[in-house]
Amino acid sequence: MSETSKPKAVPEPKVLEEPGERKYLRFTRIQRAEHWVFMASFSILGLTGLVQKYASARLSESFIAGVGGIENVRQIHHIAAIVMMVVVVYHLGAVGYRLFVRRVYPTMLPGMHDVRAAIQSLAYYLGLRKTRPQQGRYTFEEKAEYWAVVWGTVIMVITGFMMWNPIATARFLPGEFIPAAKAAHGGEALLAVLAIILWHFFHVLVKTFNRSMFNGYLTEEDMLEEHPMELADIKAGVAERPTDPAKVARRRQTFFPVYAVFAGLLLLGIFAFVTFEQTALETIPPADDVEVFAPLPPTPLPTPPPTSTPSADLVLTWDGGVSELFNSKCSACHGSATQLGGLNLSSYATALEGGDTGPGIVPGDPDASQVIVKQAAGGHPGQLSPDELVQIREWIEAGAPEN
Amino acid sequence: MKRKHLFIILGIPGLALFALFLSLDRAAAELEQPASGAPLTGGVDNETCLACHSVPGMQMTLPSGEILYLTVDRETYNNSVHGKGGYACVQCHTDLTGYPHPSLTAATQRDFTLELYQSCIRCHQDKYDATLDSVHQKALAGGNKEAAVCTDCHGAHNITPPDEPRSRIPKTCEKCHSQIFDLYQDSVHGAALIGEGNPDVPSCIDCHGVHNVSGPSNQPFHLYSPQICARCHSDQELMAKYGISTDVFDTYVSDFHGATVVLFEKTAPDQETNKPVCIDCHGVHDMRKVDDPESRVIKENLLVTCQRCHPDATTNFPNAWLSHYRPSPEHYPTVYYVNLFYQIFIPTILGGMGIFVVLDGSRRLINRRRERRHERNQ
Repeated sequence: MSETSKPKAVPEPKVLEEPGERKYLRFTRIQRAEHWVFMASFSILGLTGLVQKYASARLSESFIAGVGGIENVRQIHHIAAIVMMVVVVYHLGAVGYRLFVRRVYPTMLPGMHDVRAAIQSLAYYLGLRKTRPQQGRYTFEEKAEYWAVVWGTVIMVITGFMMWNPIATARFLPGEFIPAAKAAHGGEALLAVLAIILWHFFHVLVKTFNRSMFNGYLTEEDMLEEHPMELADIKAGVAERPTDPAKVARRRQTFFPVYAVFAGLLLLGIFAFVTFEQTALETIPPADDVEVFAPLPPTPLPTPPPTSTPSADLVLTWDGGVSELFNSKCSACHGSATQLGGLNLSSYATALEGGDTGPGIVPGDPDASQVIVKQAAGGHPGQLSPDELVQIREWIEAGAPEN
Repeated sequence: MKRKHLFIILGIPGLALFALFLSLDRAAAELEQPASGAPLTGGVDNETCLACHSVPGMQMTLPSGEILYLTVDRETYNNSVHGKGGYACVQCHTDLTGYPHPSLTAATQRDFTLELYQSCIRCHQDKYDATLDSVHQKALAGGNKEAAVCTDCHGAHNITPPDEPRSRIPKTCEKCHSQIFDLYQDSVHGAALIGEGNPDVPSCIDCHGVHNVSGPSNQPFHLYSPQICARCHSDQELMAKYGISTDVFDTYVSDFHGATVVLFEKTAPDQETNKPVCIDCHGVHDMRKVDDPESRVIKENLLVTCQRCHPDATTNFPNAWLSHYRPSPEHYPTVYYVNLFYQIFIPTILGGMGIFVVLDGSRRLINRRRERRHERNQ
């Protein structure tokens, strides 16, 4: 295998001599990468979180619609949260490596000198002091920012866990802590986003445009302005502790297994965080057991008065029963008052006479009698029963006797 | 003298004509409202029909074997809205202007109803059009002949105003939805309407609509339903009468469930969701007073209600819901004080940062101006 097939990242030079200016390495490639991944997850979390906090705002609504609905917004928020937590696990490793393996000075730790620097800065701004305070690798502004992010991340992870896993939380804590966690999560988010805009953007974009997070380097002029103590240390060769390569190699052998376990546990923790519980059913809960269509029994309609049943001993004469049968079944329409179709069955004479379509009864000839013709066709209102029809037919065949 | 004649000749007929127009106009106005589009009577008056059809027990047998009752009670019809309005039988039964009547095409009682209710459309087109969006018409179009049509709710020969008294409304729905009625009549709303005749509580149609009746099978109804409840429950004046909070909708929307549902409703109102709306916790038709031991949302029963969707929930879990309270020192103090903390903390931190930023920025501007002046002076 040739050398070129295994390209090794060339470490960036600590000092870069360029025509006219000297530059000092402030953030390595990997530190910059960490910043940008963190920045991306922070921005996505801020955006997708604040639209949930202010869900009824017009702007939020259009954002949510643009992303394809609130479920997608929550999904993206959760993914960004996982990314951020993984960056935190990495960051702990990177810090641990610098502190325990390379044994660099813990330059990010705040101290009383930072309080002094803040007061001196104010005095300088107000014209009560001739010069800015002389600060080292991290100014009090940067430390405030870093530790604010640490504080914010801790709060967000804890409250985020409580909201992500409310059932598990309520096993150990009062239920009220979950909406309280939501309140804190939202308040902290608002604070973080506004602080980034006000504090971070002012310091790295507005007051000067700080390129170190893009290309890694600060010019000597900027170093003199912002980190004069660090610059002096670099020039004196005491910015970093002298390292013994053999010792570093030994420490690495201890650090990496320890960190691997630690990081493994943390990643397991993140996995548990994400999959701890199934908070709610994903199906539609069954509806109440109610029959939607459950009709009441229909209101009984009036029962028709009993029709005069043709008695077996019906005497087959007009006066003996035929008149009575016609009266009960036909008189509604063909009574003396109504005479529909000109037919009046209330008397023997008018029955024989019939109506518009012909004689009602033709003695001896049932098939010529309209009463039989109409009734035999069926479906007539006031339909005679088959038995009744047979009896009337017999009566007509017998000459339709009146009495 | 001539002038007087002229007045008599022109004036009197003129006045008469004016009076005639006036009376015609009034007659037209009277007719306009109910009878526009109503078919003509064809000169067949109701007595002609009632001569036969008032006879008790008049009936015929349909091909299905069912009995079709043909008797119309004169009193009942005359007391109905149409009877009082003087409408003629043949304005609905337009095919029955002569005798013999044309033979029936319907094989069953139901088919007969489904043919005949079309008569309603002639005068009540707008109401009919509204029903086209209803669950009933959709079911009918889907082949369910039992689905309610005009006459199933309003009656036929006996139509009277359906909301007199108002408690008649749920009774009408009960005819087909008896199980739901049973739940409703014991609910806080139903008991007040049916028992006390309370005019403030909703009857069926206040939530479901009148002719365009919708229900959970119309999906937008489900996501929209909290806004139906809010119509009354956000009404200060109405709720004050009963000492009920008007915060219920706003507090619902500010919580996870409500915020989600409202967003769903705006972005995709048709989607199914398991995020609860009011009725999912309070009951669909059997919502109770909050001090009713049968209420699903009183403290004793709330866990069971939560568990419908959160089966693993334990005792503390229901308290994660703020019970429609705005956090205060009395109700949910932890939430209240967390909010209070951030209300103070955020301005303090940002204010402090702001002082540094403004002073730092100003100093830089002052220095720059000085430098420039210095350069110019050199």
